[in-house]
Amino acid sequence: MWFLIGIIVLILVVFFLLIFFGYYNRIIRLENRIDNSWAQIDVQLKRRADLIPNLMETVKGYMKHEREVLENVTKARSALINAKTPQENMDANNMLTGALKTLFAVAENYPNLKANENFLSLQDELTNTENKIAYTRQHFNDSVLVYNNLVETIPGRWFASMMHKKTKEMLQIPEESREVPKVKF
Amino acid sequence: MEKRLLIEDQIRKNKRDTIIICALMALLFIAVIFAIGFILFRGNIYISLIFALPIAIGYVLTMYSISVPAVLSAAKARPANPKIREEKILIYKVEDMAIAAGLPTPKVYVQDSEYINAFATGRNPKEGVICVTTGALKKLNQEELEGVIAHEMSHIKNYDIRVATVTIAVVGAISLLSEILFYSMFWGGAGRGRRDGNGLLIAIALLFVILAPIFARITYLAISRRREYLADSNGAYLTRNPEGLAKALEKIKMDHPKTKPKGSKTVAPLYIANPFKSMSASSLWSTHPPIDERIKRLRSM
Repeated sequence: MWFLIGIIVLILVVFFLLIFFGYYNRIIRLENRIDNSWAQIDVQLKRRADLIPNLMETVKGYMKHEREVLENVTKARSALINAKTPQENMDANNMLTGALKTLFAVAENYPNLKANENFLSLQDELTNTENKIAYTRQHFNDSVLVYNNLVETIPGRWFASMMHKKTKEMLQIPEESREVPKVKF
Repeated sequence: MEKRLLIEDQIRKNKRDTIIICALMALLFIAVIFAIGFILFRGNIYISLIFALPIAIGYVLTMYSISVPAVLSAAKARPANPKIREEKILIYKVEDMAIAAGLPTPKVYVQDSEYINAFATGRNPKEGVICVTTGALKKLNQEELEGVIAHEMSHIKNYDIRVATVTIAVVGAISLLSEILFYSMFWGGAGRGRRDGNGLLIAIALLFVILAPIFARITYLAISRRREYLADSNGAYLTRNPEGLAKALEKIKMDHPKTKPKGSKTVAPLYIANPFKSMSASSLWSTHPPIDERIKRLRSM
């Protein structure tokens, strides 16, 4: 009789352990996915920052008199390089997007510049990194959503508190670009 | 009557329907094996299983090894050329969608064709391939092209290529088994030592085995259509813009160029729109749902 009870207890313990392992692993995997998606955002931000010096060299000759426009871009780039927290990065990137939008609008007045192969290819590259930042941010927020859902619902929240895991924050999109900021080529 | 379904709800509903249909398919397959056993071996199920299973498994395994190079050469597809601006932008957009879907970037191919179309292939997301026609690159704008790419990316993410191939293999296996039965009846003759009273059961089983391939094919097509709806909703979720794909589908509907479509019929199910039908008639026999219904569902998200 005690033997039977022992077996039942053993089965229950194994059952609980398996569920615990399941949730534990799932939470770890989701956290890794979030870290990975942030890393991807970072890669795109760096690529974007790296394109700017080349862009400046190319337009310098043509747009000599547009000092303010060019300075804004350079300032925004510095802000991006010096940004520390994720949200700072996002805000700096937004500033850069604004500054570049002005630069490309002004470039419309310089037909020689618009015919420059290098300029066109840089423009495409910058548009590309902007879109990629939008999508990597979307993926980051999606990953955070899945993680938060698991960590806040029952029974996930019990395991999460056992592991001292809290909910994570999503990246906020600044007010000006509330609609999905996909840039057109 | 048209409820506003959240994208996530549509995705869940489609996945559930596919599982139900696949379960029916599996049951059908098992039932065919039992029916054969009944007819051939006087109700001895175990012998029939030993006989039928190796054929079925062998067939399924050979079908399981999808050959991506074969599909690409049948479609006469070439790798996208980054030196051509349109194709460079296509590559960028495929990368974007792969990021949104959390998948490695599939290889990008281009098919020289005036038709607007696209397909995806590959055994799993790591070996994924997306191909878009030059017609699509010319005729679709940015958001429409993104919608199409997102749809194909969803096929890869949902392992639809694998589901479709295995399902076709099972359909083929059911048909093969039925054929074997038919011929063995012919040659074995009517006097196969039937006991009294079993005659009616055997007749029913025989009828069933003859009809099974038809049911299997209908089931396969139902799965295929469900999966298309699922790819539509998943794709809309990736772009956060169902209207993009809706507009693209409208353009596809109106798209009637003069040249004939390329590619073999077996590749057709992987395309975003059936290239072999000029009218999108819905019936039990289409691999794709009717275009109007797809557009309607996208717009109700």
